[in-house]
Amino acid sequence: MTEEDSVFDPTLKKKKKKKKTTFDLDAAFNEGGSIGDAMETSGDKENQEPEAPVPAEDDEALDLENFGRKKKKKKKAFNLDELDAALPDTKKEDVVEQQTEEIVVDDTFDLDMDFSKTKKKKKKKKDLDELVAEEERKEIEDKENEETSWVGSDRDYTYDELLVRVFNIMREKNPDMVAGKKQKFVMRPPQVVRIGTKKTSFANFTEICKTLHRQPKHLLDFLLAELGTSGSVDGNSQLIIKGRFQQKQIENVLRRYIKEYVTCHTCRSPDTILQKDTRLFFLQCETCGSRCSVASIKSGFQAVTGKRAAIRAKTA
Amino acid sequence: MSIQNLNTFDPFADAIKGSDDDVQDGLVHIRIQQRNGRKTLTTVQGLSSEYDLKKIVRACKKEFACNGTVIEHPEYGEVLQLQGDQRENICQWLTKSGLAKPDQLKVHGF
Repeated sequence: MTEEDSVFDPTLKKKKKKKKTTFDLDAAFNEGGSIGDAMETSGDKENQEPEAPVPAEDDEALDLENFGRKKKKKKKAFNLDELDAALPDTKKEDVVEQQTEEIVVDDTFDLDMDFSKTKKKKKKKKDLDELVAEEERKEIEDKENEETSWVGSDRDYTYDELLVRVFNIMREKNPDMVAGKKQKFVMRPPQVVRIGTKKTSFANFTEICKTLHRQPKHLLDFLLAELGTSGSVDGNSQLIIKGRFQQKQIENVLRRYIKEYVTCHTCRSPDTILQKDTRLFFLQCETCGSRCSVASIKSGFQAVTGKRAAIRAKTA
Repeated sequence: MSIQNLNTFDPFADAIKGSDDDVQDGLVHIRIQQRNGRKTLTTVQGLSSEYDLKKIVRACKKEFACNGTVIEHPEYGEVLQLQGDQRENICQWLTKSGLAKPDQLKVHGF
């Protein structure tokens, strides 16, 4: 999280604003409209969170989740008539704004790449829709407030106003710039199957290594160190891990791996190369050319979980 | 030009520093390990050696209603070991009691 804080990030500011604004009814209706829109296309099924609350997730993600949950509760209160009435409101925004806002939202999501192809994709999309609608409304309000607020008057511009302004200008001038737009990082979900009662198989392990452009050994080291177990790659190029793990748990660890060792720490592009240089791993970004060292993989302290007698017999 | 010997020296600089709550330096690694069945272990590695780990583990055991112990490791120093998945508990407790800041905690595992 620390490096993310230091990185200049327009979304952070946005979020703060979101929290500050009080709840107004119009906004809720707008919101309801957009959610309802998404709901009609996709069934009620994805209402439940596919992911359990993740303790290890960073604050940003947690905030997002909470936000989503709150909204979901709200949504149940609206009936369709209200939604329909509210729908045209959401559509009146012009295209440019939509573009810019999508960019902002994308920024927030680029770290948790979606393990799509399952119903999760729908859910994520819906979240995006919600956020987009939300941001669009905010944007309009902001525009009304900020564009006009200093034009007539003599007062100084605040930092935030100028920041919004400069970002709008930047996006208008070059719509496909590096910092704003990002190519979505789509990955197949890890296929995790239990073998017997004590082992877990990660079937598409090598495939995932290929999509991430990382050495299987590096990912293997990371997985085993994080999960605190042992394991190996078997003949069918699947990874066998000792212990019981579910798909979402492996997904979590993979997310962390991607955040640390795949996405560029400066521009967050996944187009990077990991090279070893004098015992340290360096992440070289192909997009922005930055180069930074990444943490080495250490398994740390491992408690004794097996039978002590067996260990003693082995060493003695 | 200044004369070294006449520089003011604050004899209580260390004391002031000591009273600060920055005793903890470096990351605290919180890990989980699977045991047999649904059982797990939580290990807390990297707590500052200034702290009395025995007292900490005593408080933790009471707070989380679990057993726990302090293990002396030649490489990693004293390591806290608690029974069960106490990752969230220990994170909250460490920050609440001011032993470590939230950005010093690093949670591993699934």
